[in-house]
Amino acid sequence: MADAADEVARAGSALTRSDLLRKGTTAAFAVSMFGGLTDRALGVYGPLKFAKKELSGELRIMTWAHFVPDYDKWLDGTYAKQWGEANDVEVKIDHINNALLYSTGAAEVAAQSGHDLFWFISPPATFQKQAIPVTDLVQEVSKKVGRMTRVARKSTYNPATKQFYGFPESYAPDPVQYRRSQLQQAGVSLRTWDDLRQGAAKLKAIGHPVGLGMSNEIDSNMLLTSLLYCYGGYIQNEDNRIVIGQGANRKGAIQALQVMKEIYSSGMSDEVFAWTAASNNQAFLAGRLSVALNAISIVRSAEDSGNQALSDDTWLASIPRGPVQRLGNEHVMGVYLIWKFAKNKEAAQKYVVDQMLAYEDHFVRSKFYNFPPWTNSIKGGFKTIREVATKDPHKPKGKYSILTTIAEKYTTNPGHPGNTTPVMDEIYNTFLIPQMFAEVAQGKSSPADAVGRFASKAQSIYRKWHNQKLV
Amino acid sequence: MTRRQTIVTYLVVVPFAIFLAFPFFFALITMFKTNLDLANVEHVPYTYNDLAGNLHWDFWNYATFEHVRFLFEETNYPTWLLNTVIVGGAVVVITLLLAMPAGYALARLAGGWGQGAGVGIFLVYLVPPTLLFLPLSRLVSQLGLKDSLWALILVYPSFTVPFATWLLMGFFKTIPQELEEAALMDGASRLKALRLIVLPVSLPGILTVVIFAFSLCVNEFIYAFTFISSSEQRTISAGIPNDLIRGDVFFWQSLMAATLIPAIPLALLYNAFLDRFIKGFTGGAFR
Repeated sequence: MADAADEVARAGSALTRSDLLRKGTTAAFAVSMFGGLTDRALGVYGPLKFAKKELSGELRIMTWAHFVPDYDKWLDGTYAKQWGEANDVEVKIDHINNALLYSTGAAEVAAQSGHDLFWFISPPATFQKQAIPVTDLVQEVSKKVGRMTRVARKSTYNPATKQFYGFPESYAPDPVQYRRSQLQQAGVSLRTWDDLRQGAAKLKAIGHPVGLGMSNEIDSNMLLTSLLYCYGGYIQNEDNRIVIGQGANRKGAIQALQVMKEIYSSGMSDEVFAWTAASNNQAFLAGRLSVALNAISIVRSAEDSGNQALSDDTWLASIPRGPVQRLGNEHVMGVYLIWKFAKNKEAAQKYVVDQMLAYEDHFVRSKFYNFPPWTNSIKGGFKTIREVATKDPHKPKGKYSILTTIAEKYTTNPGHPGNTTPVMDEIYNTFLIPQMFAEVAQGKSSPADAVGRFASKAQSIYRKWHNQKLV
Repeated sequence: MTRRQTIVTYLVVVPFAIFLAFPFFFALITMFKTNLDLANVEHVPYTYNDLAGNLHWDFWNYATFEHVRFLFEETNYPTWLLNTVIVGGAVVVITLLLAMPAGYALARLAGGWGQGAGVGIFLVYLVPPTLLFLPLSRLVSQLGLKDSLWALILVYPSFTVPFATWLLMGFFKTIPQELEEAALMDGASRLKALRLIVLPVSLPGILTVVIFAFSLCVNEFIYAFTFISSSEQRTISAGIPNDLIRGDVFFWQSLMAATLIPAIPLALLYNAFLDRFIKGFTGGAFR
C-alpha cells in the first residue's frame, strides 16, 4: 500500500522522497517541541490530560475566602487537584469575600450561567428554585456514615417540597470568646445572660466593653437570633409558621430585646450599630473588647498575630444560658447549591459526596472551623473531634474542646425549632432582626412595638413564600 | 507675589497638603508594621513601636517587609496590576475612538438639538452599575465573556463614553469654528481639519478623558467583581478586597500596600498634567 510520501512524489511535486523525509522529520521535531505552545497561544489547548487519563470535563466551584489562607491553599492545590486527577475532572475553585456571596449568586442566577457548585455561608433557601434537589446525595452519604446532624438537616431540608435543596458542607459553632483576666478583674460571669447584663457595666468601667453587634451583617443575625432562642422568643414554630408575635414567643422576644438594651446601654458603645462581620474581630484583637460572640477566627487570629499574652488570655465558652435554655445558632452553615444551569452536575454531585465521606482533613486544616454536617464522616464522631480539638497546642491547654460541646448540645439552625426556610433566609438577608434590636437599644421603639412590627413584616414575607409553595 | 502673599498662600495650602497626603503617609507606615505593633491600640500608629510601646523611626529594626512579600508572592497582585493596565488601556482607546467623533459631531454638526443630546448622553453615565450589573451579567454570559478581561473591556465604555462625549463636546465648543472654516476654505476635508486643527488644540480635553477614563477603570468594582470570578483574571479593584479580606479577617498591612502602590503613579500622573486636566474640565464650562 502506497504511503502518503509516495502519493506526493507521484503527483509531480518538486519534493523528492529524501526531501520529504528530511522536512517531515524537521516538522515533526518542531511540532513535538513547540506545538504545545502554539496550541496554548491560539487558545485551542485541548482537554488537559493526567497520567494515562483523559479529562471528562471541568468542575467550577465558587466558595468563600476562608479565614485560614492555608486551608484554601490546601483545598485548591492539593485536595481538589487530587480529586480531579482521580475523577478525570479539572477542578477550578474560585474564592470570594463572604459578604459578596449572595450578590454574586444572584448575578449568576440572572445570567443563568456561572459555577457548577456555589457555596453559601448561611442556608440559601431563597435560591432553592434555582438549584437541583440533592436528597439522593444526602441519602447516599447518610447510608455510608450515619445520620446527618440536626443542625444540617434543619438548615437544608424543605418539608414543603420534601427535598434537600442544598448540600451541607460544614458548620461552625459559635462560642463566646472572652478575656479571662478582664472578666476575673471585673468579677463577671458568663454563665447566664443575666450575669452578662449585670456585669457589662463593670467591664466597660475597666475600659473593656462587651462587643455584641446590632448591625446589618451576618454575625449580628446569628447572635441576636440566638438570644431570642435563649429567652424562648421563637420567630417561627416547628411547622415554620411565624409565631414571634404570639403568646410566650412574644413575651420571650420582648425580654430578649430588653436584656440587649440593658447590656448595650451599660456595657457597649454605639459603634456596634455600624459593625461589619469583621469589626468584633478587630476590636477584640486590638485589646478593646472583653467579650464577643464569634466563630474561632478571633482566637486563631490572636494566636497568629504573635501576641502571646492576648492569645493565652482569650478563652472560649458556650453561649450564656437564658431563662428558657442555652442555645445558639451556628455561626456559619456552609451549604453547596448545584445550580440547575450547572454544566457539570455529575461531577458536582460526586465532589460534594466524596468531600463529605473523608472530612477529617477539612476539620483539621481549617483549624477546627469546619465541623462536619455528618459527625461520623470523621471516624469516631464527636469523640474523635473532641480528642483532636483537645490536642491543640495553644494555651490554655484544651480550650478548643468546648467547641465539641457547643456543636453537640447548643447549636441549632436559623429558624429553630423549624427549618431554615426562604422566609428565614429573607429575614436574614434584609437584616430585620438586628434592625429590631437596634431600634430598641437606641430607644427609638419599645420592645413590644418592635416585636409587633417585626412580626408583621415576617408575616408578609411568609405569605410571599407560601404563595410560591416553598413554605 | 509679595512675601506676605506668599506666606498667606503657604498658610492656606500647607495644611491642605498635609491633610490630603495623610492617607498616603498612614498607608506607607502601616504596610510595614508588624502584627503586634499594628494591633496594639496603645501604640502610636504613625510610627513604629517596640513591644513596650516605645516609639522608633528606625525602620530596619522595627518594621517588616513580610506583608509586602505576602502581597507579591502569595497573592495574584502583580497579575491584577497587569490586568488593570490592559483593561484601562483598551478602554481608553475605545473611549477616545467613540467619544471624539461623537463629541465633535454634537458640538459642530448637530445644530440646536446637539446640546440636548449631549445632556441625554451624560445622563446615561448617571445610571448606577448597581442597577445594571444584573442585566449586563446575562449579556456578558451570552457573549461567552464571563471570567474574561474582555467582559470589562466591553462593559466599561458604557460609562466612560457618555462622560467623555459630554466632556469633549464642551471642549470642542470652545475652539473657534473659524479655525476649521479657514482650513476647509484652504481645501482641507472635514476629517483633515479635525485631525490637523481641532485635535491638537483639544489635547487638554483628550488628556482629561484619558486620565479620567483610566481612573474610572481602576476604581470600578461591581462589574469587575461580578463578571470575573477567578483570582488570576481580576483587576486590582476586585482582587484586593477579595483576596486580602478572608472571612472576617483583614490583612491590613497588605491591604495598605496594595492600595498605595497603584495610587502613587496615578497621583503623579494627575499632578504632571494638572493644568491641562483643569483646562480640560473647565474648557466647556461657559459655552
